[in-house]
Amino acid sequence: MKRRTFLRTAGASVVGATALAGCAGNDATDTESAGTGGFNGTLQIATYSSFTGKDTAGNWLKSSFEAAHPGVTVEFTTPESGLNQYILRQQNGAEIDADLYIGLNTAELVRADQELDESLFETVDEDLTRADTVKSGLQIDPDGRAIPYDTGYISLVYNGNEVENPATFDALTSEEYQGDLIVQDAGNSDPGRAFLLWTIAEKGPDGYLDYWRDLLENDVTILSDWEPAYNAYMNDEAPMVVSYSTDQVYYHGEGVDIQKHQVGFLNDQAYANPEAMALFTDADAPDLARTFMDFMLSPVAQAEIAVRNVQFPAVEGVDPGAEFSQYAYEPSEPVTFSYDELSGNVEGWIEDWRREIAN
Amino acid sequence: MRQPSADRLALPAGLVVTLSVLGVVFYYPVSRVLLAAIDPGGAFFGPIRTILADPFYVGVGHHAFADPLGVPSGVLAWIRNGVPLSAVEFGLFGFTAYQAGLSALASVALGLPGAYVLARYEFRGRETLRSLTIVPFVLPSILVAVGFQAMFGQTGVLNDVLAAMGFERIEFLFSLPIVIVAHAFYNAPLVTRLVTAAWEGIDAQQIESARAMGASPLRAFRDVVAPQLRPSVLTAGLLAFIFSFMSFPIVLALGGLELQTVEVWLYAKVQSLALEEAAALAVLETLISLGLMYLYLRYEAAQVVTRSGGTTQSRRPLVAGARTLTDPHRLAVFAYGIVAAVVFLGPVVSLILESITGPGGEFTLAYYEFLLAQQASAAVGTIKPLPAIGNSLLFAVGTLALAVPMGVIVSIIATGEGRGGRLAEAVLSAPIAVSGIVVGLGLLQTLVFGVPVFGHRLTVTGPVAVVAAHAVAAYPFVSRTVTPALAGLDDRLAEAARSLGASRVRALVTVTVPLIVPALLAGAAFAFAISIGEFDSTVLLSEGGGSYTMPVALERYVGNRSLGPSLGAATAMGTVLLTVTAISFVVIDRVGGRYDG
Repeated sequence: MKRRTFLRTAGASVVGATALAGCAGNDATDTESAGTGGFNGTLQIATYSSFTGKDTAGNWLKSSFEAAHPGVTVEFTTPESGLNQYILRQQNGAEIDADLYIGLNTAELVRADQELDESLFETVDEDLTRADTVKSGLQIDPDGRAIPYDTGYISLVYNGNEVENPATFDALTSEEYQGDLIVQDAGNSDPGRAFLLWTIAEKGPDGYLDYWRDLLENDVTILSDWEPAYNAYMNDEAPMVVSYSTDQVYYHGEGVDIQKHQVGFLNDQAYANPEAMALFTDADAPDLARTFMDFMLSPVAQAEIAVRNVQFPAVEGVDPGAEFSQYAYEPSEPVTFSYDELSGNVEGWIEDWRREIAN
Repeated sequence: MRQPSADRLALPAGLVVTLSVLGVVFYYPVSRVLLAAIDPGGAFFGPIRTILADPFYVGVGHHAFADPLGVPSGVLAWIRNGVPLSAVEFGLFGFTAYQAGLSALASVALGLPGAYVLARYEFRGRETLRSLTIVPFVLPSILVAVGFQAMFGQTGVLNDVLAAMGFERIEFLFSLPIVIVAHAFYNAPLVTRLVTAAWEGIDAQQIESARAMGASPLRAFRDVVAPQLRPSVLTAGLLAFIFSFMSFPIVLALGGLELQTVEVWLYAKVQSLALEEAAALAVLETLISLGLMYLYLRYEAAQVVTRSGGTTQSRRPLVAGARTLTDPHRLAVFAYGIVAAVVFLGPVVSLILESITGPGGEFTLAYYEFLLAQQASAAVGTIKPLPAIGNSLLFAVGTLALAVPMGVIVSIIATGEGRGGRLAEAVLSAPIAVSGIVVGLGLLQTLVFGVPVFGHRLTVTGPVAVVAAHAVAAYPFVSRTVTPALAGLDDRLAEAARSLGASRVRALVTVTVPLIVPALLAGAAFAFAISIGEFDSTVLLSEGGGSYTMPVALERYVGNRSLGPSLGAATAMGTVLLTVTAISFVVIDRVGGRYDG
């Protein structure tokens, strides 16, 4: 029944979005009058598929932005291979037919820089009026190209009817939690990679494989991606799964067993996985893209992105609404690896981990 | 004089078209990826040698490449130690081959009795059931995983039944056995389909002659029926092995990462853009598959049993009054029916149940309401169910129209007088033997990014490209079903028609084709199924996202969170996919059956 409530709220906020479009428009027009003037033309945005479509953050951004800039059309393209598509395009001398990439994480940025001689993205932080409002702990790019617009916190979700919160990494390898945890492939899945990196942050690059050996001995299950893992969790295959600390935003209200959606931080931490946007060096409409990036950092857009993408805002002092705040948990100590720490390391860490698993 | 020359040109012209399509959407893109394995810049064949010398990939076999001179003393030391088998490590390739072998055996064990029942017994709905055997083939792996979890999981139907009967619940998921059962779920229908077609083509007169000469039923089966079935059983077993060898999403979804295969590893390499290593793995994988295929085809060529399209055997009624319950044959058939129901029907029915069940186990239509809402939505980028169904059917019909003639042409080449026929068929069957991940990457780097031609970048995308890619993936199935049937035909039939003045094409269409209708139909159903189930090249080649298909819609709904984090919407779309394809297969068989002598 909760699903229906969710649908209704989502439906209601679509109506709200149209009403809000006006004030979002004023907001964006301010930026525009400050320098660049009126825009015409198309803004091509490459992103992941669940960012677009009915009731999504992408669609809200598109309609609000277009309402504020009547000459502008926002188009989304959602390549199946994600950022790899553009790295390969650049390597093969093919045209990058997009202006903006939305949904970049630190490890992907590291990969792009490692694979390419010339940067795929342009430095923008100096040109954006709101770049400095992003929470300092979330900045992922020392060169100011990738600008975070939201973040998830990877944590455990556990069934309180079956197990207690393990609360520490070491407890996960104890007999008490044998066979109880489902995680995801670190090579292929965002939460999976975040969890692996979190264990490296905790146990160190020299100790994490030992820790994983213990996890494997304790019968951890490793599935390809978040959906199959969460589905297995919902089917009671195991009482704990690596997921997001926003789980209860979906699961609350009447008739829901909230015990099955307990968020468990380990060592009072969670791994922050900021999602960033970046301007392609080859963009056809760079000024328009920068205006759009600033719009995404505006308080009204930040609140909408948080609710619709079920992630935390990236900008300080944004209120995504009472319901979100009540059910989304923030860790007291967010952990994340910086660009420099991942650079030159992350692929090797994942490769060694995979070999350990397959043996 | 003009007509015969045009007639002579028909086959070469068809071959040219076939090769052109193959060249553009298969050989060129794939070679573009595989060439990285040679790595002309570095050590020659460096990436391949690195893999062969790595115990992680080839287990103890790496000694042969890393230190060939040390092998004899190593073997001696091993013998002196008393041949400890536990010490033998097979590496990633070894494990992959091991699970593929078990999967192929399971597929044959599960599929063969089905062919026996369909070919030898008459019962209500037999035709429909035969049409539906192909359905598992089109199911996207994510749905199979959902169905398997619902059927075999901790709280699944099977465990609930066991618990109700007082047994312990079994831990079945995320283990090697469940991966093997899932591979059998996909490949046993292949066995059933291929063997049923071969069985139905057997000339009843040959059996009757054997019986008339005093052979017992068992003896007649061994001497007449079994030799004619063997090629199709082995074909199906070989294909099952190759598919299980190259299995990837099923292993991840049901086995977990601890059971990863070469293909899973290859995918990870492509994801991290380690393309040289990926290419080297793909080359080795392809060599194994193609080598097996070639060896098999040579064997098959020596096995041909000539037949002349006589009468087919009559089928026994499955239900025969009170005798049904005492006849051991029929009881065995029912026992098999129960096993088949658990393995095939169980996951499919569970999947349908999942689509009408909410997170708390209550009945809900919310997922179907979601599909209707998507259909009604005006939001940009919304994936709607109806266009997905329309596109899927359109592409599948296009694939059928292209893949069936392509497959028949390849079969004619393979059965021709030329000595290289079998080698040609092996090479032309390469689309089966090459990793789908490599094909996808190749298409991306060539057709999608564009090929520089006279200063322009030429891209090949859109519906025509999608159909061509589907046809390339599908025609080997047509040729694999048609070649044995064609090879077994009595040449004198077509020659008689020719001597009566029929052109080559006319003799082919009016004499040969009607005699191979069961095989042609089996191949056509595979072509249709492959097109319907295809995902990777559809996503890559469908221009601008407008021509998405049912599997693409399903994949998008997996990522859609408007109903909360749930696969419900995908299971609803999966049920639609099931229904549409089930109806299609029945129609194909019914329409095709009208031409069946």
